[in-house]
Amino acid sequence: MNLKRLLLRYITSVLLIVYICTAMLTLCHADDRSFTVGFDAEFPPYGYKDESGEYVGFDLDLAEEVCARKGWILKKQPIDWNSKDMELKTGAIDCIWNGFTMNGREDKYTWSTPYIDNSQVVVVKKDSGIYDLSGLSGKIVAVQADSSALAALTGSDADEENIKLAQSFAELQQVGDYNSAFLNLESGAIDAICMDIGVANYEIKSRGNLFTMLDKHISSEEYGIGFLLGNTELRNEVQEVLFEMLGDGTFIRIAEKWGLESSICLSEEDSYIDNVTTENNQSFIEKLINISSQLAGGLGASLAIFLLTLLFSMPLGLLIASGRMSKFTPLRWIVKIYISIVRGTPLMLQLLVVFFGPYFVFGINTTSSYRFYAVIIGFTLNYAAYFAEIYRSGIQAVHKGQYEASYILGYTKRQRFFKIIFPQMVKNIIPSVTNEVITLVKDTSLAFAISYTEMFTLAKQVAAAETTIMPLFIAGVFYYIFNFIVAFIMEYIEKKLNYFR
Amino acid sequence: MNLLEISNIEKSFGDLRVLKDISISVNETEVISIIGPSGSGKSTLLRCMTMLEAIDGGSMNYCGEQAVTSKNGLPVYASKNQLKQIRRYFGLVFQNFNLFPHYSVIKNITDAPIHVQKRSKDEIYKEAKVLLKKMGLEDKANYYPYQLSGGQQQRIAIARALAMKPKMLFFDEPTSALDPELTAEILKVLRNLADEKMTMIIVTHEIEFARSISDRVIFMDGGVIVEEGKPADVIDNPKNERTKAFLKKMSV
Repeated sequence: MNLKRLLLRYITSVLLIVYICTAMLTLCHADDRSFTVGFDAEFPPYGYKDESGEYVGFDLDLAEEVCARKGWILKKQPIDWNSKDMELKTGAIDCIWNGFTMNGREDKYTWSTPYIDNSQVVVVKKDSGIYDLSGLSGKIVAVQADSSALAALTGSDADEENIKLAQSFAELQQVGDYNSAFLNLESGAIDAICMDIGVANYEIKSRGNLFTMLDKHISSEEYGIGFLLGNTELRNEVQEVLFEMLGDGTFIRIAEKWGLESSICLSEEDSYIDNVTTENNQSFIEKLINISSQLAGGLGASLAIFLLTLLFSMPLGLLIASGRMSKFTPLRWIVKIYISIVRGTPLMLQLLVVFFGPYFVFGINTTSSYRFYAVIIGFTLNYAAYFAEIYRSGIQAVHKGQYEASYILGYTKRQRFFKIIFPQMVKNIIPSVTNEVITLVKDTSLAFAISYTEMFTLAKQVAAAETTIMPLFIAGVFYYIFNFIVAFIMEYIEKKLNYFR
Repeated sequence: MNLLEISNIEKSFGDLRVLKDISISVNETEVISIIGPSGSGKSTLLRCMTMLEAIDGGSMNYCGEQAVTSKNGLPVYASKNQLKQIRRYFGLVFQNFNLFPHYSVIKNITDAPIHVQKRSKDEIYKEAKVLLKKMGLEDKANYYPYQLSGGQQQRIAIARALAMKPKMLFFDEPTSALDPELTAEILKVLRNLADEKMTMIIVTHEIEFARSISDRVIFMDGGVIVEEGKPADVIDNPKNERTKAFLKKMSV
């Protein structure tokens, strides 16, 4: 009776709370319109995380002012640059406002008028001995994936001079963000970075003048605010406020605050480029084949990581397991600490340490070919630790009587391990190893952390270039097939080992 | 000559003294049964004699070779190589058989003679066939242990021990893991071995069997040898009260 009443009261109050919350949320939506700005949080001075952890920058200040005047609530949404189109399409963000180059993208977005004139420049190390564009021949040059610099060098609208220039490079490397690009440049893994002049100025200044800019620019270009194609209504609202801010001097003041006053080009005389959606004539099947063949190139890289990691980490794991079970206490502790660190930190971080460690700890200049070795070393060190623990559990699961019987029969320690214990261990650990190997297939995608282009990185790049998420799905299918084969092989081995129990 | 001579064996697990001043000597061709209640120390004694456990005091001598000497009351084991040599003198049959599950019957029997003793393969295989026949399992050579009954597995384990040509065999409760109807087949094998003058030390719960097969019976309780002698004395006419109580319990 009492319980029933209590239950009833509980249900009533829950319903009441839910009702109030819903009502409040609806009210919020009705009263306060939000304006979500998507930006790359590693793109100073336009948008980045400052020392106090706040998202700040020229573009964000502008957005803030626009929102203040319109009575909107500004939401700053840092995005993965490769996913910007999907963010916009799904409505997760209202616009891309982030030193966003218009040139070459005119047809892809509904644009504001240009407000910053920006050029693409080349940054090199001060003592590099590279003084002009011809000095880049045979060098490794980095650009941000899907950036205007990349478009200026290899895009469909790139001029002939730039295409020739790009062909003279030893390699045109795509990196995820400028921070890692500069780490690469400093460590010698790359020779130059092509990037926007505003960002270049900021980076060179903030990095203690270790770097310098070549005098000749690759291209000049303009920044605008990108809205979803066709969303002219929102664009017009924002544009109107921008002109208002230009009129009363607020716009200039904000530009001065960020040292960009010489680059601004906002003018009421500019007219919008209002474009119509251009349909891609490629059929679905053609697109599918095109994307698949592009991804197949990355599959080789993923496969190489996978196979080499297994090849090295499985035997190394055995060595580590023996250290872990050693009777020599210091060794056992060292191995224990090693395993604990490897299991307790992200693989992505370990890859960064392996790649950048030699330069930043020992001052050894890294080369670009080291990138692949770093991937394999990082993966091997990580997976060996996991395998070691699996081996240990498999060894400890072997019955004590097996040791005693082989001792009585006079087997040496070596014979005992390899003839008696090892085969039984293998049978014990097959299910755990299968798990680990399948995880490895998917983990290969983490190689992007040090800009090694394997299948998933490629899928993200293709997705960004073609503004569709199809490549990601196709990559998913590839991973699934890959793992299906892995599972099939492991099952076969398991069956083969069923000859004993 | 004495095949085995152990004197004043001491063994403790922590504060618990499991073996107290045990001395036994075993003559060639002798069959000795060790009986006693659970926890009496008989299995620990067997594990010490087969060097699966290290002793805390006393000395051990196999076929005239000193495995453990006592120095100032502390046991000193011989060198690794000497011990390896000494281990060749005896074999051990476990309660749980401990066959190698990933080896076929024939490989279980032949692997150690080939790879440990480095004897010729042809010779070993011939001997193994004879041993299998003796165990009544000549048709099981290519089976794996899990395909055999407990009694069959134990017979293979005995064959594996015999293939090493030991001078004596230890048995650690060889029938305890078996159903009663399978016990008989193992006891028959042991009896045949006794008839062939194999020296054996058997830890067992089978009082009837101990009486009929043994030259000597040792009754242990509380880590000491309480009574020792011919079966007719120890089992049929026990003098000690503890022996009497144990035998009475076992016969019920």
